[in-house]
Amino acid sequence: MFKDATKLFYQPVIAFFGAVSVVITIYVLWLTLHNISLLRPGQEQFIGLNNYVRLLLDTRGLNALWRTVLFTVIATVIELIIGLSIALLLDREFHGKKIARAIMLVPIVMTPIVVGLTWRFMFDPSSGMANYLLSLLHLGPVDWLGNPQVALFSVMIADIWQWTPFVVLLTMASLESLPGDPQNAARVDGAREWQVLWHVTLPALHRALLVVALIRAIDSVKTFDIFYIMTRGGPALSTETLNLYGYISAFTNFDISYALTIAMVLTIFTNVALLLLYNLAFKAQARGAV
Amino acid sequence: MKRRQLLALTLALAASSALPAIAQDAAQPYAGTHIAVLMEGHPTTDGIQALLPEFTKETGIEVELEVIPESDITAKMLLEFSSGTGRYDVVQNNIIYIPGFVQAGYIDPIDDLAAKLPKYLDRADFVPGYLNTNIVGNKLYGLPVYGESTFLMYRKDLFEQYGLTAPKTFDDVVSAAKTIKEKSNGEIVGITMRGAQGIQNVYVWAGWLWGYGGEFLTSDGKSALGTPEAAASLDAFAKVLRDYGPVGAANFGWEENRVLFQQGKAGMTMDATVNGAFNEDPAVSSVVGKVGYVPVPKQSDALKGGSSSLAVHSLYITSASAQKEAAWLFASWATAKEQQIKSFGLAPNSGVTSQAALNSDEFNKRYGAFKEAMLGSINQGNPQYLPTVTAANEIINNAGIAVSKALAGTASAKDALAEASAANDAALAR
Repeated sequence: MFKDATKLFYQPVIAFFGAVSVVITIYVLWLTLHNISLLRPGQEQFIGLNNYVRLLLDTRGLNALWRTVLFTVIATVIELIIGLSIALLLDREFHGKKIARAIMLVPIVMTPIVVGLTWRFMFDPSSGMANYLLSLLHLGPVDWLGNPQVALFSVMIADIWQWTPFVVLLTMASLESLPGDPQNAARVDGAREWQVLWHVTLPALHRALLVVALIRAIDSVKTFDIFYIMTRGGPALSTETLNLYGYISAFTNFDISYALTIAMVLTIFTNVALLLLYNLAFKAQARGAV
Repeated sequence: MKRRQLLALTLALAASSALPAIAQDAAQPYAGTHIAVLMEGHPTTDGIQALLPEFTKETGIEVELEVIPESDITAKMLLEFSSGTGRYDVVQNNIIYIPGFVQAGYIDPIDDLAAKLPKYLDRADFVPGYLNTNIVGNKLYGLPVYGESTFLMYRKDLFEQYGLTAPKTFDDVVSAAKTIKEKSNGEIVGITMRGAQGIQNVYVWAGWLWGYGGEFLTSDGKSALGTPEAAASLDAFAKVLRDYGPVGAANFGWEENRVLFQQGKAGMTMDATVNGAFNEDPAVSSVVGKVGYVPVPKQSDALKGGSSSLAVHSLYITSASAQKEAAWLFASWATAKEQQIKSFGLAPNSGVTSQAALNSDEFNKRYGAFKEAMLGSINQGNPQYLPTVTAANEIINNAGIAVSKALAGTASAKDALAEASAANDAALAR
């Protein structure tokens, strides 16, 4: 009896949050089966799965989904690679380590609106910093946010600038908690530094990196603010992610049911993808495959 | 005992402070009423905001004025309307949404209020073209706050230097843009226009669409963007901006475009008439006195509608408002000629809707340089310049994507418009 008493503390909380999620999800599902528009109050009809069929055949929606995937994968991978490299570089005692770490926090605590605006000014084709730097190398000018082939990557640069430090901080924390003995043992056995890194340090960081990757991937899928500030989905839809398309459906076209359908599909898609990733990574590890 | 004394004292104080309020009641029957107003960020709004204390002093009505960007205002009010909260008593919006709002029952006609409380109203003083846009089914729904049209602005000094004359057709525009860019060795771009996807690029491109003989909707309510006229207009618009326009035009909104022209970095621009007020303001402009103003060009004489816009933004009283009379007093006060005339000293406001304000010395002094062209454009202004159906926003959004695609070169004007046309037909059928 007493052993189970702790359950009384957390079970109600879990039950409450669970119930709220389930109720909201069912309500949203119900709304997606109608054709609710803010401009046609009182004329809602039950239209079954029509919204889902519409999205399936909507090339604009499918392209937006593809851009979401592209943005998430590339941004997450680059953030992980750069973040890990910086963390490994900083993983030693040096003068000013605390200051370096404090500076690292600046992008993370900045609001995305400020980040978006700052980068928009930097990417301004005629008076921005980016083209000025290029002109020193006798390159450019590049129309960073106006060229549909480039715009998505320009937004990605802002996202990478803001979130790489997050990867650095988490990786540094787990690096510091690693025991030093296995590495030293490898060095005594004659391993070179890159061998120590590849065969000892990285495998030990594996789990921490996966968690960081998951958090970043989830956040990337949801990225909205910097897109909204920097491009609003343009030019020529080249930066319209599924998230943004949902926003436009809701607040430009006032097509609430379709917007919710988009959000619902994005949620399902993300959950399935992340669960697969999670299972692949952690189950494999649990079986001792890694 | 002490507590009772304190209570008595408090009561006496409360009574004495309430007395003047009671005395004023006859003159200010709505004293103490709170109304909430949602308006667009615009020079006119700045003027009204600055004058607001006078309204409260006169009527005793407290106004909570919320100002947000025009691009977000419709969504914001629709969310409140659809949940019936009555959060806002007065809202400001573009005429294009009004038929939809009337049909949905979100705003109320104001004829009865105008008859009951005519204190601030001088109906005959409004520019008729502006006021009439607010009449739906013989009922008046709103009072115009600001109105504007579009025109072509060109640098008189450069045109003289290169031997050019003011453009009358779009072909003239293209060749003038080419000359300016080439003869200035690319130092000055030929023309700058808004290219940002959405209402921004559509507001300017629509002038080309109508000017080439195109239209948004056919008379039987179908999309008309798939026509050769529409394709020709978009093709020319995209080409001139790509070849002789500034780098980055694809992301230019009203502000970026206006600033570039004010800095003297472009030979021409085509935009709202309010830009004239900025061009002629020495505090922000380096081209004061150097700008010529002419109506938006026409490519042919057989047009389905004028190529200059008629954009009217008005104040509306919401159906869910609990204090419509106080709301009406505010709406009629804010749009009255006295306030419009006072606003000249407060903000670059050339979009006045009162004829008295338009003909005032103050207006002539400040905006005389473009007054004639502005009135000419307004008089030819096309009330259907942007579609005014329920799905207007979605149609504009789809057209904006097509313009953006043609501008970026990811699709031909014809293909991009065919796609937009199909999407618009789907939206119209929904």
